Amino acid sequence: MSSMKLEIVTPNGSIFNSEIKEATFPGKEGEFGVLPEHASLLSLLGTGVISIVKTDGSEEGVAIDGGYAKVEENKTLCVVEGAVSISGDTESEVAKAIEEAKELLEGASDSATAIAKVESLGRKSI
Amino acid sequence: MANLKDIKRQIKSVKNTQKTTRAMKLVSTAKLRRTEELAKKSKVYAAKLTELIDDIAFAIKKYKAGGIESRYFSKIENPIVVDIVFVTADKGLCGGFNAQTIKQVWKLMDEYKSKKIKIRLRGIGKKGVEYFKFNEIELFDSITDLSAAPDYNRAAEFMDAVTQDFVEGDTDKVIVVHNGYVNMITQEVKIDNVLPIDPDMSTEKEESSAMEQEPADDEEMLNTLVHKYIRYSMYYALIDSLAAEHSARMQAMDAATNNAKDMVDKLSTKYNKARQESITTELIEIISGMEALK
Repeated sequence: MSSMKLEIVTPNGSIFNSEIKEATFPGKEGEFGVLPEHASLLSLLGTGVISIVKTDGSEEGVAIDGGYAKVEENKTLCVVEGAVSISGDTESEVAKAIEEAKELLEGASDSATAIAKVESLGRKSI
Repeated sequence: MANLKDIKRQIKSVKNTQKTTRAMKLVSTAKLRRTEELAKKSKVYAAKLTELIDDIAFAIKKYKAGGIESRYFSKIENPIVVDIVFVTADKGLCGGFNAQTIKQVWKLMDEYKSKKIKIRLRGIGKKGVEYFKFNEIELFDSITDLSAAPDYNRAAEFMDAVTQDFVEGDTDKVIVVHNGYVNMITQEVKIDNVLPIDPDMSTEKEESSAMEQEPADDEEMLNTLVHKYIRYSMYYALIDSLAAEHSARMQAMDAATNNAKDMVDKLSTKYNKARQESITTELIEIISGMEALK
């Protein structure tokens, strides 16, 4: 099965860097999904949630407050200002991540949808 | 005898000071390590952001007649108003760390004044802000309590005002002065010309595949990217300055601890001499008393 590399970088360091199967990005001009072998693309990202399907089939979400995505054949780079990964080993960790993500998404225009997404992803990862 | 007691008290006080300075040194060492880590992590962001800027700048140069039009990249030959942003610490006790930055700001001010260029100062950090206030030099903007704990959002907010003035044409050049970290024992004052960005700085490179873009407006994209980059450079200056502050404090406190140790040694010798003297005097008194009884 083909996979591609996804890296999410913030001013405080890289928060996600691994092989994935697919990812959906909140583009400024509409959501778009990326699979391996995607055509090269440079896109502005809005506030929202990047949902990632990892190579083992599990899902993970990363809430972001706008940035850029540079898609290449088998490598995708995301440069964002603020990001919270909705994941954790324990239930309380996940709950904390959800709270942080909500705070980050507060200013978004369609924050309700994004927050709902965060919550559903959070439930899945518990 | 009073002398002996005095010396003893002095020794005790110096020893206490030594304890404080040693503790401060250890704290700075730990904090320096953490700040260094942060700087390393955040450099990844800078590298990726520069990569994106290069990509877009390249695309514009290649496909668009007239090249980059954005004011961010414009060459301004005769600046009229220059913004100087300086970063100092919130706390002292770190040797010449803050003084060096302030000295550099003075130098820049004199330089621009001789060219009849108007200067506006924007300060970060209590020490520098208080210094210029004391010398009755007006600061255009100032912010404190940011140097000790760099926060991206606050740095961005501060820098956004600077950028906006530049874009609107109120300023023609923006310089950031901060005392940067070189290694554990060296700090160096760094002067960054943040705006306008030197177009030559973005290196030319061959792009094999053409990029699709969304939104399709190159300039727009480049502008937002550059905006982020400027925010980041401020944030990085803060981290760099914090690392330098801790290394400077570490050195200063190490020197202070050593000096205290020397002082204790000197005082101990003095104390021992005084004690011996008093014992000798006492003995002489006893012996001469015995002699007198014979």
